[in-house]
Amino acid sequence: MTTSASAVTDIRPGKGLLDLDLRGVWRYRELLWILIGRDLKVLYRQAALGAAWAILQPLLAVAIFTVVFGIFARFSSDGVPYSVFAFSALLPWTYFSESVRRSGTGLVNEGDLIRKIYFPRLIISLAGVITPLVDFAVAFVVLIGMMLWYGVMPTWQIVMVVPLLLVTGLLALAIGLWIGPINVRFRDIKHTLPFILQVWMYGSPIIYPLSMIPERWKALYCLNPMVGIIEGFRWAILGKGNLDLTAIGISAVLIVALLASGLIFFRRMERTFADLI
Amino acid sequence: MTNELAIKADGLGKRYLLGGAGKNHDSVRDLLVDTVSSVFRRRDPATNSASEFWALNDASFEIRTGENVGIIGLNGAGKSTLLKILSRITEPTRGRARINGRVGALLEVGTGFHPDLTGRENVFLYGAILGMSRQEITEKFEAIVDFSEIRPFIDTPVKRFSSGMYVRLAFAVAAHLEPEILLLDEVLAVGDITFQRKCIDFAKRLQKKNATILFVSHNMFTIKTMCTRVIYLKKGKVHFDGPTDEGIKRFEEDCRLATVPWVKNAKDLPIVVKGVELVDQAGREKAVFEHGERMTVRIQYEALRPVKTPNFIVVFSRSDEVACCNYTSESDKFVIDEVSGKGVIEVQTPPLSLVADTYNISILVREKGFGELLCAQLGGSFHIRHPLFDQNFACSTEQAQWRRIDADVAAAPSDRNAGEPYLVVADERR
Repeated sequence: MTTSASAVTDIRPGKGLLDLDLRGVWRYRELLWILIGRDLKVLYRQAALGAAWAILQPLLAVAIFTVVFGIFARFSSDGVPYSVFAFSALLPWTYFSESVRRSGTGLVNEGDLIRKIYFPRLIISLAGVITPLVDFAVAFVVLIGMMLWYGVMPTWQIVMVVPLLLVTGLLALAIGLWIGPINVRFRDIKHTLPFILQVWMYGSPIIYPLSMIPERWKALYCLNPMVGIIEGFRWAILGKGNLDLTAIGISAVLIVALLASGLIFFRRMERTFADLI
Repeated sequence: MTNELAIKADGLGKRYLLGGAGKNHDSVRDLLVDTVSSVFRRRDPATNSASEFWALNDASFEIRTGENVGIIGLNGAGKSTLLKILSRITEPTRGRARINGRVGALLEVGTGFHPDLTGRENVFLYGAILGMSRQEITEKFEAIVDFSEIRPFIDTPVKRFSSGMYVRLAFAVAAHLEPEILLLDEVLAVGDITFQRKCIDFAKRLQKKNATILFVSHNMFTIKTMCTRVIYLKKGKVHFDGPTDEGIKRFEEDCRLATVPWVKNAKDLPIVVKGVELVDQAGREKAVFEHGERMTVRIQYEALRPVKTPNFIVVFSRSDEVACCNYTSESDKFVIDEVSGKGVIEVQTPPLSLVADTYNISILVREKGFGELLCAQLGGSFHIRHPLFDQNFACSTEQAQWRRIDADVAAAPSDRNAGEPYLVVADERR
């Protein structure tokens, strides 16, 4: 329906390896926005507090971490109030894990659509990483408010949040492109994903500072692409220390590799989604 | 009609592997190994294997712009698979198709509706899913709401809609698609008669605009009104492609005594139905019965070997495969000692309580105690006429006894309405 009047559609089995049909995705961009709009509208509907949950959820998470790790366990927070320290990392992490969850399980959740309607399936993975941006924006405003409350002033570096966020989204998309098709075939993904994400969270410098990692383990630790990203966010938001270019570089290389291979894998698996879901 | 081609299909085939759709990977590791290795070597689509099944096999045809073509065939003949390939939902295993024009596919009405969103929001959502632009939907919004006849509820979440309202709204959106090529899968079978008429009008309006329509249906009447040409698919292959009347005739002949599709060992069954006749109380053979009439189903059979105490079962089912009623000799305490060679069995039904629709007959024979299957064949179809009720109301309806037991009303059952055919039914659906 979105092809133009004189369009010719050619249908044949498995096209070339690198035929990613990104133009098709662009043609269906309106459906992408509609699906995102639908998810946002539905998110807090029929909840008494409504969209206030977008503010409450990150606040509650930060409060729990502050009590458990900041007050009881007395984790170091590199000289800033623990709440602000934890929040500045929880902000990208929450966006990342929600995006991975959505883009990884979206295909199965939209099974009815995939069985009965044609559209580039990549749209679902893309919607999965775009929708949580709204919660991110709300939480970001809450974080700025909290920083001002604790007297931590943001610096110019805060604009770097934008490119860092883009990198986070691309990483989440790359992972979604890999696990989404696998989830279509093996629903085990849905059950294991929460645990993987939890382990990943404790393996990233969120509740503790990167400085707690012994120097000889640091290179290995930085293979986790979220390390560079989270440290980048801390640097941009809190305006302290230096940007760890090595960690960011490792993240960037990993993301490019995952994204390229993920796109090819996704396109390859996409052909049989309708038969498998 | 021009001579320009709208659809050209060339040897389309779709293979499924039995025992679970798609490839059988035992683990994620197998899947990854297979994917990685398949990247480096082209799959050979012709590989043969015992567990595979060609839902569509070497289908070739050409459809000119403006043609309206019906796709007919038994369940599992590949009709839906063909539409899924042409609408790009799934890829063919081999062959290719060229489609010239804007395609609109309606394989199911209302896929993508979200229960928590209002009718208005769903119009925009569903429109976008079907491929309409936001501007297009905004322009047509009023017309869509009028068509759906549910204006008062347009700002209510659709989860509070009755299923009838839901379908109306969904179809109203779909009916405002203006594709050059429309692929329709049995969607006209929804809604009540007035609504169905609207849907046929929609298809006719598209016909006037020289749209190409490919239409899958089990309803031969609709096919006859809408299509000049039919493609009859049989076991995944194009069995007949030509004028509607001839195609339907061939299809109905094939259907008459064909084996029921779910039977696997058809050749080994010892009893074969040679003919089925439907006879009314006056002894006339016919295919259209009134609601409340009694029907005699006369079954000519041949037992290839002597069979002791067979249990004959006659089932009437709708085109959507819902079995609506059955008659079995065993439950009716009719004992058949043994059958061998040719013979005739007759069953007279009680007054038929079925509502207006087309019903397919299946004749099954089982061993005593609903044991092993001895015969399973289709026995043609018939229509039931009813002035009021169709499948939107019920599968069947019968006259019942009514009475009021309020304090101030006499408790005696009234037989006043015994002579009146129907209770007055308030128009509860709109």
